[in-house]
Amino acid sequence: MPIIGDRVEIERKPKLGGGGPGKIGHRRGFGGGDDDHNRPGDFQSREQRMRRYRIGMTLCIISVTAIFILLTVVYVFRQGNGRYDEDTHRYIRDWIPLTLPYMQLWANSILLLISSVTLELARRAMARKEEFAAMGIVPPRMKRDIPWLGLTVLLGFCFLAGQILVWNNLRHQGAFLEPNPSKSLFYIITGTHAVHLVGGLIVLLYAVAGRLLAAKFESQRIAVEVTGWYWHYLAFLWFGIFALVHFAKG
Amino acid sequence: MMHRVFSIDHKVIGKQYFFLSLAAVLAGAWLSLLMRIHLVWPKAAIPFFGEIKPENYLAYLTMHGTLMVFFVLSLVPQSGFGTYFLPLQLGASRMALPRLSALGFWTALISFCILISAFFVPGGPSGAGWTQYPPLSALAAAGPGQGLGTDLWFISIGLFCLSSLMSALSFLVTTLKYRAPGMTWMRMPLTCWTWFVTSILILLAFSILLVALSMLMLDRHAGTSFFIPSGLLVSGKAVDHAGGDPLLWQHLFWFFGHPEVYIAILPAMGVTSHLLSVFARKPVFGYKAMVGAILAIGGLGFMVWGHHMFVSGMNPHAGFAFSTLTTAIAVPSAIKTFNWVATLFGGKIRYNTPLLFSVGFVSLFITGGLTGPILAQPALDAYLHDTYFVIAHFHLIMAMAGVFAIFSATYFWFPKMFGRMMNERLGRMHFWITLFGAYATFMPMHLLGIAGHPRRYSDLTGVQYVAAMAPLQKFITVAAIVTIFGQIIFLVNLFWSMRRGPAAEANPWECTTLEWTLPSPTPAEDFGEKQPLVNHGPYEYDISGAEKDFTMQDAPAS
Amino acid sequence: MSAALRLALLLILAGCIYLFLAQPYWFPVGASLQAAAIDHQFKIAFWVLGGMFVAGHLVLVFVLAKKTHAGGKPLRGGWKLEVTWTVAITAIFFWLHVSGNHLSLHAKTVMRVGSLQEIEVTGAQFEWYFRYPGADGTFGRTSAQKFARPDEGNPLGIDPADPAGRDDIVSSSLVVPIGQPVVLRLKAQDVIHSLFIPAMRFKQDAVPGMDIRTSFTPDKMGTYEIVCSQLCGIGHYRMRAAMRVVTEEEFEVWLGNQQKAVAQGEQ
Repeated sequence: MPIIGDRVEIERKPKLGGGGPGKIGHRRGFGGGDDDHNRPGDFQSREQRMRRYRIGMTLCIISVTAIFILLTVVYVFRQGNGRYDEDTHRYIRDWIPLTLPYMQLWANSILLLISSVTLELARRAMARKEEFAAMGIVPPRMKRDIPWLGLTVLLGFCFLAGQILVWNNLRHQGAFLEPNPSKSLFYIITGTHAVHLVGGLIVLLYAVAGRLLAAKFESQRIAVEVTGWYWHYLAFLWFGIFALVHFAKG
Repeated sequence: MMHRVFSIDHKVIGKQYFFLSLAAVLAGAWLSLLMRIHLVWPKAAIPFFGEIKPENYLAYLTMHGTLMVFFVLSLVPQSGFGTYFLPLQLGASRMALPRLSALGFWTALISFCILISAFFVPGGPSGAGWTQYPPLSALAAAGPGQGLGTDLWFISIGLFCLSSLMSALSFLVTTLKYRAPGMTWMRMPLTCWTWFVTSILILLAFSILLVALSMLMLDRHAGTSFFIPSGLLVSGKAVDHAGGDPLLWQHLFWFFGHPEVYIAILPAMGVTSHLLSVFARKPVFGYKAMVGAILAIGGLGFMVWGHHMFVSGMNPHAGFAFSTLTTAIAVPSAIKTFNWVATLFGGKIRYNTPLLFSVGFVSLFITGGLTGPILAQPALDAYLHDTYFVIAHFHLIMAMAGVFAIFSATYFWFPKMFGRMMNERLGRMHFWITLFGAYATFMPMHLLGIAGHPRRYSDLTGVQYVAAMAPLQKFITVAAIVTIFGQIIFLVNLFWSMRRGPAAEANPWECTTLEWTLPSPTPAEDFGEKQPLVNHGPYEYDISGAEKDFTMQDAPAS
Repeated sequence: MSAALRLALLLILAGCIYLFLAQPYWFPVGASLQAAAIDHQFKIAFWVLGGMFVAGHLVLVFVLAKKTHAGGKPLRGGWKLEVTWTVAITAIFFWLHVSGNHLSLHAKTVMRVGSLQEIEVTGAQFEWYFRYPGADGTFGRTSAQKFARPDEGNPLGIDPADPAGRDDIVSSSLVVPIGQPVVLRLKAQDVIHSLFIPAMRFKQDAVPGMDIRTSFTPDKMGTYEIVCSQLCGIGHYRMRAAMRVVTEEEFEVWLGNQQKAVAQGEQ
C-alpha cells in the first residue's frame, strides 16, 4: 500500500522524540512495559510478583551500597586526617588505633557465612516444594525436612549476639568510654550493618512463622527468595567491613 | 470506613499526600507570616495569638524551613501527584508495591505529627535552622530549643527519610515494570521521567541523610563524637566530647541537601514541561534534550554539594572544583528554560489557569536561576553567603517556582482527581496576586543581601546598617502579608469546587496522556481489565489535517 | 488574557529594572583591596546576568504575543537550535566562572606570606574576641574548658602558667593599621560562628576545633561594623563588634595603651 510507504518516509526524518506526530506503529510485546502485561489474566502471577520484588530488592541493595560507600569514605578520610596545631606547630592525629578482637570477629564471620549457605539450601528446598505444588502434588516427605530456614534465623541471631560481644569488648578497651573517632566510626559502620541484618531477620522470621501467621506458601517463598539476595549481599558486605577495619586501622 | 482510610489505592494515597501537604503549607505560611511581622513590628500583637517573643523566632524559622522543604516541596509534587498519576500515565492500574506506598504515607503523617508536637514541649522546637549544623544542634546546652525539641526534629526527619525511601522504591519498580505495552521510555510523558529520576535521587540522598541523622543522634545521646570537637565550652559548661569534625556534618548534609533541591524542583519542571505543551497545543520542544537535561541534572546534582560550604573553612581548591561543577549544572537548567520558551513559540496558546502558573514558573525560574552563577563563584559567595541574597535566590527558584508548579498541577489535575472543574475566574485572581506577590516579596531581598543583610536575625535594630534597611523590610512584609492572604482565594476555590464545581468531562483539557482516557473522577478500578495499548508519543498535538488537534497515546496506530 | 499576561510580565520587568537601577540599598563602601576586585566582578556578573534576565523576559513576552499564521509549521524541535543555545550559554557561564575564580584563590595566597602579625578571632556565644599576641609576638596557650572566666577578664581561657600569654591583649573590637594585610586566625569556643565585615567584603566561618587563617587588606580609614552571619543560637543577631582602621601611628599608640593596661592588670 502506497500510503504506508509514505509514512515510513516521514518517520525516517530525524526527530527529537516524544513529541512529533507519526510514530512507527508499536508491535505488541515489544519494548515498553513488561511483557507479562500481554496476559492480563496473569497480571498477578507468581513470577510477576517475584520479579517485582526482586527489582525492589535490587534497588534496596543499591541504596544500602550508597550508605556503606559513604561510611567507608568517611572512615578512610577521618583515619588519615589530622589537625595542624598552630600553637605547637605539630600535626596532631587524634585517631587512636583499635585493637580488634579478631577471634570474635572471625567467629562472627563464620557464623554469617554458614547462615548464608543454610539460607541458600532453604531456598532450594522451597523451590523444589513449589515445583511439586505447581504440579498439584502434595510434596512427598523426602527423608527428613531439615529446617534450614530456622537454622538461618538462629545463626543470624548468633551473629548479632556476637556483634554485641564485640562492641562490649571495644567499650571496655583502653580509656573507658573515652570518645574517639575510631571507635565511633567502628560502631556506626558495624551498627548500620547489624540494623540492616535485623531487617533481613524480620522477613525471615515472617517466613519461618508463616504457617502461624496463615501466610501463603507463595509469599513465604518469595520472602525467602528475595531476602536471599539481600542476605548474601550483607555477608559480602560484612567481609568488606572487616577488611576495612583491619587494613585501615590507623 | 477503615478500609477507605487505610487504603492501598494509589489514588487515595495521592490525595492523602495532597492534603497532608496542604496542612503543612498552611502551617509553614502561617509561620512565615509571624516571622515577617516580628521582624518589622516586634511589638505587634497578633489577634488570638499575642506578641511574638524573640526566642520563638528561631523556632519558627526552623519549622518554616523544615515544613516547606520536606513536607511541601518534596512531598506534593513527587509523592502527591506522583502517586496519583504515575500509574495512570504509564497505563498501569496500580503501584507496583501498593502496601509500601501506603506505609510511606502513614510514616510521613506520623513524622509530620512528631515535627509539629515540638511546639508543645518545654523549650519549644529546635532553633538551629533546617540545616541543623552541629555543634549547635548536637548540644542541648546550646540554646532553648536544642533539647527535646531538636530530638523530635531528628526523629521526625528520620521517619520522613524512611517514608520517602518507601515511596521512591514503589515509584521505581512501577516505572520499570508496570509500563503499559507500547509505553517505551521515549513515549513516557516528561512528568513520569522526572518522577523516575527524582525517585533515584531520593533513594540515594535520603538514605545518606538517614545515616547522618543517626550519627548526630548518637552524638547527642550515646557519647560518640562524629561532629563535636574537643575543648568546647558551651554556656559555661565543659563538653566532654573529643575528635569530632563539624564540617563532616556539612558535607553529609549537603550531599543529601543539594540533591534534595532537585528532588523538589525536578517534578515541578516535569509538570511545567507537560503543561506548556498541553496548553500551547504543541509538542514539547526537544523532548530528547529535555530527558537528557533531567538525567544530567540528576547526575550532577550529587557533585555540587560543596557550593554551600565556600566559607565553611573547606579547602579553597575544593571550592574551585565545586564552583566549576555548579557552573556545569546551570547548563542543563538553561537548556530546559530554552525548551520551555521554544515550546510556547508559535503555539495556539490557551490561557487557562494552569498555563498562567506554568508561565509564572518559567519567569520565576529565569529570575531565580540567574542569581545562581553569581552564588557559584566563591569570591562573590563569600560576601553574599548567609545574606538575604541567598534567601531571595532559593525562594524564587525553589520555593516560588516549586509552588507555582504545584498550583498549576492542582488546577490541571483537579478535574481528574475530584471530578469537577476549578473556577477559572478565581484561579486567575489567585494567579495575579501570587505572581506579583512573589516578585514583590523576594526581588527586594536581593538588594538587602547586596547591602550585607545577614539572614536569620530575629532583631534588626542592633546593627546600624541593618537597621537602615527597615523601610524595605516593611515593604517586603506588606507584600508577604498580601500574598499569603491571597492564597485564601485558592483555598476557597479548592474546597468550593470540590463540592460545587461544574462536573468535569473525561478530557477537559484535550490532553493526550493515558489518565485522560478515563472518566473524571478516576474510577476506583482505573483501567480495570482494559489494559491500554500505547501507540503514540505523549505530546502529539497540532496534527495538520486531523479533525482534532491531538492524538491520544492509546489511539490506534493509523 | 494573553495581553494581560504580557503586560504583567512587562510590569514586573520594569519594576525589577527600576529596583536594581535605583539601588535604594547597595554595597556598603568598600574599604579593602579585595573590595574593589569583588565589586568589579559583581558588576560584570550583574550586567551579564541582569541582561539575560531582561532578555529572557522580553523573549517570553514576545513568544506569548506571537500569533500562529494558519498553515505555518510551528517549531517542534531542532538539534541545531538546541546545540547553539547550549554552547552559547555554556560559554557565558564558564567565562563568568573563570573570570571570577582567581579572586578567591588570591585571597588564600595572601595568607601564606608569613611573618605578618596575626590576630586571633574567637567567636563565643554571643561575643567576638580579638587577641593580639603582644610584645613577644606569640600567643599564649588557651584552654577554654579549664581557664575561661568571662567575668574575670579571661574569656578565652588563656593559660595563666604560660609566659607567652601574659602580654596577650584581648579586645572586643578589631583595630588594624591601614594598608597592611591583616591575617586573622579564626576559632570558635562553642558553636560555629561566622565573621562578616561587609565593608571589607570579608566573610569566614569560625568553626570549633578548627584554626582557619585568612586575610584581607584594609585601605580606607574608618569604623566598620562586624556581624555574625552563621546562625549560632538565640543571640545570633546581637553578636556584633566594631572594626577600626587607623593609621600606623594610631595603631602603635592603641597597642601601647592596651599593653599598659594588660601590664597593670598583671600587677
